[in-house]
Amino acid sequence: MIKKLFSFLLLGVLIFSVDRATAQSEPTFDKYHSNTEVQQILKSLSGNSGAKLHTIATSPGNEPITILEIGSNLEDAPAIFVGANFEGDNPLSTEGALYFSKMLLDSINYTKNVKWYIMPQPNPDAAAGFFAPVKHGLTVNSYEINNDADDAVNEDGYDDLNGDGFITKMRVADLQGTLVLSKADPRILTNAKKGESGIYKIYDEGLDNDGDGKYNEDGEGGINVGISFPHLFPKTNKNAGIFPGQTPEVYGIMRFIYDHPEIAMVYTLGNSGFCSVPPKGGRKGGANMESIKIPSRYAKRFGVDASKNYTMNEVIEMMKKLVPPGMEVTPSLVASFLGLGAAVNPLDDDLKFYKSYSEDYKKYLEKKSFNTKTLDPAPAKDGSFELWAYYHLGVPSFSMNLFTVPKVVEEKKKDNEALSMDDVEKMSTEDFIALGETKIDTFLKANNAPEKFYAEGILKMLDSGKFTPKQLVAIMKKMPKSEKEDELSERDKALLAWSDKHWEGKGFVEWQKVEHATLGEVEIGGFVPYLETTPKAELIDSLAKTQLPWLLQLSKKLAQFSIEKEEFTELGDGVYKLELYIKNKGKFAYPIAMGKRNSQPAPIIIILDGDIQFLQGIKRTPLGSLNGNQIKKLTWIIQAKKNQDIAVKIESAVFTDVVKQIKIGG
Amino acid sequence: MKRYILFILLFTIVFAGNAADNKGKIEVPLRFDRYYEYDEVVEALTVLHEAFPELTKLDLIGKSEEGRAIYALTINNKETGDELSKPGVYVDGNIHGNEIQAGEVCLYYANMLLTKYGENEKITKAVDNNAHYIIPVVNVDGRYHFFEDGNTPSTNRGLRVPRDDDRDGLFDEDAPDDLDGDGSICQMRIKDPQGAYKLDPEDNRLLVRVKPGKKGEYSLLGYEGIDNDGDGRFNEDSEGYLDPNRNWGSNWMPNYVQRGAGNFPLSGTGIKAVHEFMASHPNIIIGYAFHNTGGMWLRVPAEKSTEIPSSDVAAYDVIGNEAIKITPGYVYMPAYDLYPTYGDADSHMFFIHGIYSFVGELFMRDQETYTTKKSAEKEDAMEAIMRGSSTERSREQLKFNDNVALGELYKDWKPFTHPVYGEIEIGGWVKMSSRLPHPFMLQDLVHRNASVVLLSAGHTPELTIDVFEVKEIGKNLSQVRVRIENTKGLSSMTAQAFKDKLYKLDVLKVTGGKVVAGGKLSDIRLNKVSYKENKPEVQFFAMPGHSKVEYQFLIEGKGKVTFSYESQKAKNAVTTVEL
Repeated sequence: MIKKLFSFLLLGVLIFSVDRATAQSEPTFDKYHSNTEVQQILKSLSGNSGAKLHTIATSPGNEPITILEIGSNLEDAPAIFVGANFEGDNPLSTEGALYFSKMLLDSINYTKNVKWYIMPQPNPDAAAGFFAPVKHGLTVNSYEINNDADDAVNEDGYDDLNGDGFITKMRVADLQGTLVLSKADPRILTNAKKGESGIYKIYDEGLDNDGDGKYNEDGEGGINVGISFPHLFPKTNKNAGIFPGQTPEVYGIMRFIYDHPEIAMVYTLGNSGFCSVPPKGGRKGGANMESIKIPSRYAKRFGVDASKNYTMNEVIEMMKKLVPPGMEVTPSLVASFLGLGAAVNPLDDDLKFYKSYSEDYKKYLEKKSFNTKTLDPAPAKDGSFELWAYYHLGVPSFSMNLFTVPKVVEEKKKDNEALSMDDVEKMSTEDFIALGETKIDTFLKANNAPEKFYAEGILKMLDSGKFTPKQLVAIMKKMPKSEKEDELSERDKALLAWSDKHWEGKGFVEWQKVEHATLGEVEIGGFVPYLETTPKAELIDSLAKTQLPWLLQLSKKLAQFSIEKEEFTELGDGVYKLELYIKNKGKFAYPIAMGKRNSQPAPIIIILDGDIQFLQGIKRTPLGSLNGNQIKKLTWIIQAKKNQDIAVKIESAVFTDVVKQIKIGG
Repeated sequence: MKRYILFILLFTIVFAGNAADNKGKIEVPLRFDRYYEYDEVVEALTVLHEAFPELTKLDLIGKSEEGRAIYALTINNKETGDELSKPGVYVDGNIHGNEIQAGEVCLYYANMLLTKYGENEKITKAVDNNAHYIIPVVNVDGRYHFFEDGNTPSTNRGLRVPRDDDRDGLFDEDAPDDLDGDGSICQMRIKDPQGAYKLDPEDNRLLVRVKPGKKGEYSLLGYEGIDNDGDGRFNEDSEGYLDPNRNWGSNWMPNYVQRGAGNFPLSGTGIKAVHEFMASHPNIIIGYAFHNTGGMWLRVPAEKSTEIPSSDVAAYDVIGNEAIKITPGYVYMPAYDLYPTYGDADSHMFFIHGIYSFVGELFMRDQETYTTKKSAEKEDAMEAIMRGSSTERSREQLKFNDNVALGELYKDWKPFTHPVYGEIEIGGWVKMSSRLPHPFMLQDLVHRNASVVLLSAGHTPELTIDVFEVKEIGKNLSQVRVRIENTKGLSSMTAQAFKDKLYKLDVLKVTGGKVVAGGKLSDIRLNKVSYKENKPEVQFFAMPGHSKVEYQFLIEGKGKVTFSYESQKAKNAVTTVEL
C-alpha cells in the first residue's frame, strides 16, 4: 500500500516538475538579495508542487520569519532543517539556502523520502544592515534594548564620520595608548611589546552622541538571533537578550522545530563550519555521567562514600531504594536530582562521525579542485543555533560556511626551508622520523612550537607510538599563536591580500585624517565590514554549486530502519518464539550519542499486531538505539494460531513507518 | 475505561449541581472555609472586581494549553497615582495545579485589601501607596483537573502538554485511574501471605513492614490504576510532565538536566503570558509565588553556582526574618538549600524582572496534631520528603483525621475487583489531604501568609529628596547639596539589576541651572566628592533599603533649580531650590 502510494506520489512529482520548470520564474544568483527579494523568491519557490511557505514569527523590525517546506506532499517522512544567516552578517549563507532550495526543487533525488524545512532569513532585521547606506556588519535585530541602562534608548550608535558608507575604526594618538604601527605593514596596528610604549588608542568610528564619555555604547537594537538559543546562553552578553528565546524569531523557531519531531538532522549555513572542523570540545564544567560524586547530604542517606566516584548505573540503583514504589529512576532524574548539569562537549561517539565526515568533505572539495587553504571557519558561538541543534535536539548538526578568505600561500620553499604544518599533517610517522632531528627542529621553530617541544623528545614519543605527526600538528595548532616578531597575523595577511587582489584594495579604507568633535584629530580607516564573510556576488554561484551538494550527500546517511528477517521457532501447542531482526540501513546512529543522553529524539517502536497472546514481551516494544549499519534482534514468545497473518510495524514520529505482514510459524 | 470516565463525569455533573447549594453563593466578602474550583476562582475575582470597580482592574492575560483563561486582578487607588508610578507588589499562586491553597492565599489577599480599605489604616496605606497585582491561579488547567479528575495530593502539577514519559511512542496513555470513582487516587493493597507488610495492631488501616525473614499479610501495589497501555507497568505515563515552575527563562536547562523543564523556555503558553504581564509592569519590586508544601520562605538563588549581591540578601532578610515570625514553624532560606532548580519563577522574577521574589511553601503537615505533647522538633523538609512518615506519626495523623478533620482526609480500605490483580483493597489518604490544610485550618493559613505580603508592601522603597545646603561660592556659582533617602527596607532597584544594567538605572537629574560639576559626596565635613566627568547633571545609582546618599552640585546661574529623582520601581521624588 505504502509502496503503491509512493509510486503514485512520485508520478505526481514528475508530472509537476515538468510543469514548474516553465511556470516558475527562476531566481538567479548574480546578486545579494534584500529581505523583500528573499521573501519574493521564497514565495515564488513555494508555488512549486510539494512546496509550502510557513510564516512562524515577525521580527521586532516587522519582517516576516518564514520557512520553506519542500516535500510537503510527503506524509510520515523524516525531515532535515536548514537554517542560514542567524547572525545576519553573512548574506552569502542566505543565498546558499535559496540556492539549496532550488537544487532540491530541480531534482527529485533528495525529496523522495525526506522532507526539507529551509529558513534562509531568520534574522532579517540584522540582514538589512548589508543593504544599508552605512554598513557596519549589523548582527542585532530591532528589539529595543537600553544597552547602557541610562535614560535614553539607542541614543549612541556608530557614525559614519568620513562619509564613506562604512563604519571602520578610528585611531587616535594617545599618551596612554597601547598600540603601535606594525613594522610589517603600517596599515595594521599591533600591541606594543613589553618595554615599548604605545602610541595609539583605537575606537569604532563614531561620536559620543549622548555625552557620557563613551563611544557607540548604545546603538540601534537589539538581539542577535544567532546567539540567543538556550545552549550555553551567553547571559552576560547584552546582544543575546536577557534569556534565551526572548526575541520572537528565536521563540518561533524553537516552537516550530519542536512541533516537528520528524526533524532528524539540522544544517546551518553561516559563520561556523562543522562540515570541515568538528565542533570543539575541551570546555570545562561538563558532567561526566560515568564518574559521579554524591553530595555528602545524600551520601549519608544512600549509605555510600561521598569521596568516591560512582557510575550512573550505580547511582540509579542507590536511588531506586529510596523512591516510592512504581517510580522509575532514569539517568535524567538522577542528573536533575543531583544537579549534574548539562553536556557541554560533543560526546565521543559523535565526534567520530564529525571527524570522519570532515575528512571526507576535504577529499570531496579537493576532488572538485576547490581551494581549501583558507582561513578556518569561526567556531560556533555560545547560544548559537547549530550548538543548540546538537545539544538540545540530539540530532546530527552540521554547519557550513560557504566562504572564508584564502590564506596567503608563501612562495614555494626551497629544500632546506622549513616544512609547514599542513605538510607534516599528511606525513606518516615513519616519513616524519626519517626527516631527522635538524629538519624537525627547523619545522618546530618555524611554526612557533612551544619551547618544550624539541626534536629529540618528539622523536622518542613518535617512536613509542604515543602520537602521530597529525596529532602533533593538532596540538601545535591549539597553542596560542605567539605572534612572530614584525609579522602580520595570518588573518590580517589574508585579508589585506584579499582586499588588494579582489577588491582593488577597497577592502581596506586607508587611514585618513578627520577632525573629531571630542577626540580631536583622529584617523579613520581599517577593514571594511563584510570583507571577511562576503565575496563579490559573481562568486555566489560557483561557491554554492561546489560546496552545497555535500549536504545532499550527508542527507543520504540518515538512519533508516527495515525488518531484515523474522524467524519462528515452534515451542509446542501454538506457542512460538518470534525473533525479529531490525536493521538501521543508514550511516548515522539513531539516536546519536547526544540524543541518547538527552532522550529528545522520538523513540522507534516495534509493534506486533494480530490475534496473539504475549507470553514474553509486549505489543509495543521500544527499539532503543541502533548504530548505522547495525542489526538488533528482538525476541517475543507468543501464542497464536499457525499460518495466521500478523502485522509487524516499525513506528516512530521521525521515520516513515514500515509495515510487514508475516505468517505465524513462518 | 472511557465509558467509565464518562460515567464519572456524568455523576460529577449531577452531583455538582446539587453540591453548589451547600457551598454557598460566591459573594463579597469571600469565604475561606472551603476551596474554590477553577470556575469559582474566576467568579470570585469577578465579584471582587464588580464590588470595587474603582480600585480594581481585571485582565485576561492569556490562555492555557486547554484554552482556559488566566486572570490578573490589579488593585490600585488611582486617586493617589497611576499604578505604574507606584512600587508594585506581585502575588501569584497555584502554578502547580495541585497546590490549590496557593490560589486561596491570593484571593484572600485581594479580599483583605478591598474589604478593609478605608477601615484599616495599614490596608488603606498599602492600597494608596502600592499597586498590587494578583494572579491566583497560574496553572488553570491543573487546578481544573485537580478538582475534576481523580488525583493523589501530588498529581496534576504540570501543564497540559503531552509528553511520552515511558518512551513508547504514545503520549499520556497510562495515567492512574480512579477505579472506585471517588475522586481520589488512593493506594491499592492485596492480601499476600508472601507480603512484606502486616496490619498495624493499633490501627488496622495502617500497614507496617515485617522484619526481614518474617512473612507478612499484605503487599502494596502502588497508586490506584490499571495498565492502560498493556506494557506491564502501571501509571507510568500520566499527563505531561511539563513542570511550569521549571519552564521560566532565567537559567533554564533542558529536560535531561532539569526534569519537567519543557522543550524550551516559556514554552507553556500561560507561563509566557505571565512573563509578559510582569514585563509590562516594570514597577513590580516584590513578588510572591505560592506553592505547597513544607512551610518555607525561599529566596534566590535556586542553584549554588549563582551568587547574589550582599545588599540584596540584606533586603531579602528584612522580609524573610519577619515572615517566619508571622508564619510560625516556617523556615526562611535560599531555594538551593532545598534542592537546586533551573528555570524557576523566583529566579526569573529576580534576574529577568529585577523583583525581590519569594516562594512561599504553604502548610506543614505536622500542624495536624493529636497529642498532649508539645509539638516535636520540626523535621528537616528534605528528610520528610525522603523518608515519609513513621508509623507512630501516621497513627496520630489518622486520629487527627477521625476526630478533628471529620474523617474527610482518609478513605478507609474497601474491597475492589481489579482487572489484573483480582481481589484487592483500595484506601488511604485522599487528594484533599497531606499537602492541603483541612478547610477549618485554611482561614489561619491564608491570613498569616497574606500578612507577609502586606508586610512586604510596607517595605517597598520610599524615597525622599531634600536640598540640605546651599552655599554661594562665587559671583554666579552655587554649591548645592542634596540628600536622597530610602526610608524603607527594600532597595529601589536590586543590586543585581544595577550590576546587570537590566533596565534604566535610578537617576537624579538637575534641571534649570547649568551644572558645572556634580558628584557623590562621600564625606560631608571634609567635602570629599567624586565628581562625574561627563554629564554631571545626570547621576545614576540605586538606593539600597534604609540608606541615604548625598550629592553635591556646582551650579552656575540664578533662579529655580529642580532636582528630580526617577526610578522605574520606586515612586519619583522632586524638590526645587531658588538660587
